[in-house]
Amino acid sequence: MIAAMDTSFEPSSLLPAVAHGDMAAFEQLYDRHSSTLYALLLRILANADDAQEVLQETFVKAWTNAKMFDSVRGSDVAWLISIARSRGIDRLRSRKIRGDREDEAGRELSGSFGFIEKRTGADDAIQAEERSAVRSALAELPEAQRVALALAYFEGLSQSEIAERLGEPLGTIKTRMQLGMKKLRERLKAFR
Amino acid sequence: MIGHEQYESIAALDAIGAATPAEANSLVAHLPSCPDCRRARDEYGEAASMIGRDLDPVAPPPQLRDRIFAAVENDNVVDARDRFNSSRWWMAAAVVFLALWGWRELSIRVTREKIHSSEAEIRRLTGQNQILSARNEKLSAEMASLASRDTRTIALTGQQVSPSASAKVFLEPQQRRAVVFFYNLPANAADKSYQLWILRGDQPKPQSAGVFDVTQSGAASISIENLPLATEIKGLAVTLEPKGGVAQPTNTNFFVAGST
Repeated sequence: MIAAMDTSFEPSSLLPAVAHGDMAAFEQLYDRHSSTLYALLLRILANADDAQEVLQETFVKAWTNAKMFDSVRGSDVAWLISIARSRGIDRLRSRKIRGDREDEAGRELSGSFGFIEKRTGADDAIQAEERSAVRSALAELPEAQRVALALAYFEGLSQSEIAERLGEPLGTIKTRMQLGMKKLRERLKAFR
Repeated sequence: MIGHEQYESIAALDAIGAATPAEANSLVAHLPSCPDCRRARDEYGEAASMIGRDLDPVAPPPQLRDRIFAAVENDNVVDARDRFNSSRWWMAAAVVFLALWGWRELSIRVTREKIHSSEAEIRRLTGQNQILSARNEKLSAEMASLASRDTRTIALTGQQVSPSASAKVFLEPQQRRAVVFFYNLPANAADKSYQLWILRGDQPKPQSAGVFDVTQSGAASISIENLPLATEIKGLAVTLEPKGGVAQPTNTNFFVAGST
């Protein structure tokens, strides 16, 4: 029976309905993805107030820009994550410009992407399955590749900044990130 | 020259924000012409989102949900206001259009009235011109009669009903026309006219030479065309007759009279 199940990551897209002003679809979108986005923003910003502000900005932008979403190009959650991450990194950079480097030194450089406490609420079955598959894919990446990707993705560091942080040649860092992304892409294709 | 593989590698880095600005720009320039690289870009974007999804979910505070939906509701209000403002704009445009249309109609009506008024003025002036032409023609005839070398003058004297009245006839036999000037005649009533009669030697009945009115000044004049031959005119006399004149005198109360 399991083999016959739909192994697609995503349930049906809600953003086309949101684009038409469907508030019920928007509520469903929020309920489905807000926890994932909030976790991401907490990981990037390490500050609950900032994370909540950026999460609000993300969903308001999703409401106003839903017409720009193209389901052929990707999933609802990927689109939302790209908005949230982009805004989160912008907030992080503006905070750095202000000199507020609070816990930069304390950021974990382990290969684990997640460090936030696990959510105690019930996940729906789809999200749990999806996360398990993602975790499995990421776990297959070598530690060095995961660290390089994490520094770029969560901290918005450039190739040269990562190379400097890790004390590695720039070319090596670039290759690690490209290889890591290539593997993730291949795993994503395998999921679908 | 950058090949597809290199563009795909750039797309991989770009998906996690790690491409350099130069690399990102070259990718953006290349994508419109390359469906394969666009697909790779999309797939790397989806793959990058997996990194974000690896984290254990954390439920945001419930009040954040309320804040977000309130913000979206406000956005709806703004949208509605925009729509309202848009409808107000159309209403204003409609009002301006109607005002312009009304102004145009009013202008057309005013112009038409001006044209009608001008046409009436033209008709009035044409009438006046005709009157003046007639007067000019009469005066010219009178002047010609007065100035001619052959003109004869005949005096008509006041009779019993108006002894102080008199008249002078300037007769131009060659042209068989005459001009008669009257003096001190009493003003005729509105329903009466003075009538000048020619007493002919060849006919038993007098012949009308025209009618005229006299105002309080007592003066009047009359031009006569197509007179009988001078030899046939025995005399001239004036009676007061019904308005517009009659075929034959209704009385013999001559105001002025005289013989040639």
